[in-house]
Amino acid sequence: MQIDDALLTKLEKLSYLEIAEDKREEIIKQLSEIVSFVDNLSELDTTDLDPTFGMTNKGTLLREDKPSSSHYVSQSILSNAPHSEDNFFIVPKIIE
Amino acid sequence: MITLKEALSLSADEIKAFREELKSEIEAKKELNAYVGMEESGEGIPLLIKDNIQVKDWSVTGGSKILQGYISPYDATVIINLKAKGLAPFGRANMDEFAMGSTTESSYYGKTLNPINTDCVPGGSSGGSAAAVAGGIAIAALGSDTGGSIRPPAAFCGIVGMKPTYGRVSRYGLGAYASSLDQIGPLTQNVEDAAILYDMIAGYDPKDSTSVDMDYAPVSTALNPERKLRIAVLPHYLKDASADIQKAYVDTIEVLKAQGHEIIEAELLDAKYDISAYYVTATAEASTNLARYDGIRYGTRAKGDNLKETFVKSRSLGFGEEVKRRILLGNFVLSSGYYDAYYVKAQKVRRLIKQDFEKVFETADLILSPVAPNTANKIGELQDPMKMYLSDMYTISINLAGLPALSLPVGIAKNGMPVGLQLIAPAFDEQTLFDGALGLENALKG
Repeated sequence: MQIDDALLTKLEKLSYLEIAEDKREEIIKQLSEIVSFVDNLSELDTTDLDPTFGMTNKGTLLREDKPSSSHYVSQSILSNAPHSEDNFFIVPKIIE
Repeated sequence: MITLKEALSLSADEIKAFREELKSEIEAKKELNAYVGMEESGEGIPLLIKDNIQVKDWSVTGGSKILQGYISPYDATVIINLKAKGLAPFGRANMDEFAMGSTTESSYYGKTLNPINTDCVPGGSSGGSAAAVAGGIAIAALGSDTGGSIRPPAAFCGIVGMKPTYGRVSRYGLGAYASSLDQIGPLTQNVEDAAILYDMIAGYDPKDSTSVDMDYAPVSTALNPERKLRIAVLPHYLKDASADIQKAYVDTIEVLKAQGHEIIEAELLDAKYDISAYYVTATAEASTNLARYDGIRYGTRAKGDNLKETFVKSRSLGFGEEVKRRILLGNFVLSSGYYDAYYVKAQKVRRLIKQDFEKVFETADLILSPVAPNTANKIGELQDPMKMYLSDMYTISINLAGLPALSLPVGIAKNGMPVGLQLIAPAFDEQTLFDGALGLENALKG
């Protein structure tokens, strides 16, 4: 399958990424090559196979929903964050 | 370099002296670029830690620019476990950015060199860990293996590398790449050290929902290299391997026979399907896992006029090319219109791959397989992403099926580079894996 510029633009949007103008042609070529390769999956007959794959046969394990918190962890994260004040992360203005 | 087993019998004073000595040796081999940080955490036997495993108060960056400035607020469960056994995190090992690579060339900190031949790569993504152990500047190291990030580096550098069964070792505190495939494992100088380190890090952890809650029996105290096993070999798998690897494989089969093991032939799905199922699954999971890096809460933020621009700029400037490629690819296979044909299909194929292994293990105790199609690649040789993905052909099926495997050196190729082969065991049968590997290691020593 061939990836085109419109599809790359869509993927950039989904990925919150911007591919530089001078890199687009190369990445389109690389992605197309990879996707064409993985198209070989369609050669395999998987009609009767369950699409839900889990690493254990028991499914996802659940735990009790007990609240817990660490003051040290939250303070450490805030103090090393790119921009924080008091107990908040500071971000550019969202509402004009 | 002393082994981990030997180090465990040192006195506190001896360990202290050894740590100082080690620092100067690391400094003397700086050109390898195996260490990207000389952080220490506690006193004890020094253990090198891959740059994607959390150690409290360390800068832990996954070899990425986007995590510069991040300081870990906690210890990963494996770190807590090994501190309790007298080991101490000592230095950060270089790696491919976010463990996405097979050469350790994509790190923000620059490439790591192979100590056996510095024109070659050490393999990836745990290349710093492997190069340090092989270069005599680490007793042992922790790495992580998502599609082979421990085993090919071990093979390329001539050391032992082991990937545990999925669920055996807690992933709590491991920087997530592809969560259904990632496992932390040991890189060591020999099989026994690998068993010792594996025992230290393995076990149930309630903080990792995929950690398996079952009784844990230590393997290193029960090692039996004399066990006679039935080992499956994969003749058809060899067609894509170089002459050196093929010869090592054939020679190793003879060694195994001479040890008294029974050799049987088996067949697995063509590895081209493994590569496809892997790159669909891993990139899908990576695109989700790496969505958290937005420049807001940790790491590096780029300046944008509004929030969206801040996200996009932070990510575009913070991630390297291979990481971007995998995020784009992951979002492609998960996007509406392509999800069924790629992601769902890959999950079904994953089941086929797992069943395939289970069938072989109905009659075999272990499987012998190549680790990589060739010895260590030259630096720059795997620039083309598709070519790099193909180089993972012998390791990724094991991650897709969640099995344990161990790579050990079996000889030296004509070009002077080490050749490693891997043994693969049924899920949760690490004991047989280590027994077989230790027996083979002993037999090769002669």
